[in-house]
Amino acid sequence: MNKRTGMVPWLFAAMVVFLGGNAAIGAEGDPQTATVAAPTITIDKTELNNGGTIKVSGQAPAGKPVYLEVYAADHTVRANRFDSDVDKDTGKRPYIFYITSDMPAYYKIFVPKELQAKIDEEAKKKGKWSYSELLKNLGADIAYSVPPQTKIERYQSTLMASVIGSRGDLLPAMDEKENKKRSMQLVKARFRSINNVLAAVVDVKPDGAFSADIKIREGLAPGKYKIVAVVDKKVKSEAATFENKISFPTMYLENAGTSLNLFYPFMLTLVIAIFGVLMGAGGGFIMNPLLVTLFPALPHTIVAGTVTPTVLFSQGSGIYNYSKIKFINWKLGCGIGLAMMVGGFIGPKLTEMITLDQFKFAFGWILLVLAALMFWQTTPGYLARNKKEQAILKEFKKRAEEAAKGKN
Amino acid sequence: MKIEFWGQEFQVNMVVGCLGGFLIAIMSSMFGFGGGPFMVPLMTVALRLPMYLVVGSSLLAIFFNTSISTMRHYQFGNFDLLFFLAMFPAALLGGYIGPQIAKRVSPLVVKRIACAGLVLLALNLLGIY
Repeated sequence: MNKRTGMVPWLFAAMVVFLGGNAAIGAEGDPQTATVAAPTITIDKTELNNGGTIKVSGQAPAGKPVYLEVYAADHTVRANRFDSDVDKDTGKRPYIFYITSDMPAYYKIFVPKELQAKIDEEAKKKGKWSYSELLKNLGADIAYSVPPQTKIERYQSTLMASVIGSRGDLLPAMDEKENKKRSMQLVKARFRSINNVLAAVVDVKPDGAFSADIKIREGLAPGKYKIVAVVDKKVKSEAATFENKISFPTMYLENAGTSLNLFYPFMLTLVIAIFGVLMGAGGGFIMNPLLVTLFPALPHTIVAGTVTPTVLFSQGSGIYNYSKIKFINWKLGCGIGLAMMVGGFIGPKLTEMITLDQFKFAFGWILLVLAALMFWQTTPGYLARNKKEQAILKEFKKRAEEAAKGKN
Repeated sequence: MKIEFWGQEFQVNMVVGCLGGFLIAIMSSMFGFGGGPFMVPLMTVALRLPMYLVVGSSLLAIFFNTSISTMRHYQFGNFDLLFFLAMFPAALLGGYIGPQIAKRVSPLVVKRIACAGLVLLALNLLGIY
């Protein structure tokens, strides 16, 4: 459903780009824009197999920097950001939640080679780099045309709304300028690292001929991609289109917005599930951090949201087995269960409000606590007590099983 | 609250139990794990309940949490069907193979390995190495 509704603004965006390109070409005779002719663009292949390199070349007006805007035209993903940074003007924290489902599954601007130093400089800021500032510094904001078209919704979050697990009140739509600004933040929130959204690879000759080797990484969305060469605001080439193909067992995960060889998560889950049984605990708390570490392209919200239901079945069958031998105290289980239900209602809301870095940080500490708990369970004092407990447990279980059998 | 289990009566402090369960549920549903490794110590240590009472009842409590958080994650669009289909059979298979191996290995060794593994993973997440 997401895909289909997401396509509409896309077609619109593609048309705008297309018409814009045409208009620029058509305007060549106009005396005001006569100095800047629209660039041409050619690509060496129209098909990739789960990533690869595409050679782009073309002719632009001499002396102009050339930017290549590349984006996935068939698939969009969700991007969200919780704005709790102090506002410079008012000194207050806005607590506004921005979300869009129209973000291209791939979006990257390739800039002239000479600008590498500027990218490196911004990269020194580590996680605090600013996409909007970098775009401005590179002069690449003229090529930034697709994400501003996305429909961004914003919600005013309040503490109360978060407690009851709601996103808050939907605020009125933003104007064009504001939408553009917020879309930049969402691009960063979605693609996270500079290398995912910017690269300095375009080689521009003094006569205006340009060429670039565009590397499309593995694990991206399949389908059509468009490349547009931009030399000035509204002066851009027509879109060159290529297709990224993927084949089984690599599949595109629609909600995660990334392609993945499904064999890997299968094997990983198998190993962790076995290990979880041996350890006497579910594997979820190992699964999640491993997944976000091993597959950096997967959003942490998807990881948390998809791992959770995988344990439902084993829990259900566990409860069934225990209940058969009447080994569950329903009053206690349901009592605490109801409290946990309230917590479980709130938790998933919080997942989307935090960034991956916060997710990793918090999870790191949780795991340390857990490791301490585990360690404590291997200390001699605990073991001695546990031995007794386990003996009683076995004894009771035996009795319970016999009782259950006797009745049948 | 008084509960009865196999002929014995236990006094349970439900305030501690519910508050602890509530906090553990927020954390575990936020980060997408079950919560068992935290619930069992809570019930045995903080509530002083014996292990044989805790094993089943904690599972039931966690089941409430997991089902509601699954629903909520789905509602927020955090669920990816294909990804789930890749993991779910593996989880089932693991649950089947696991107990067969469990008879042959010492739980103590497994726990120590897990402990070391968890610390490594934690340090990695915290960006220390």
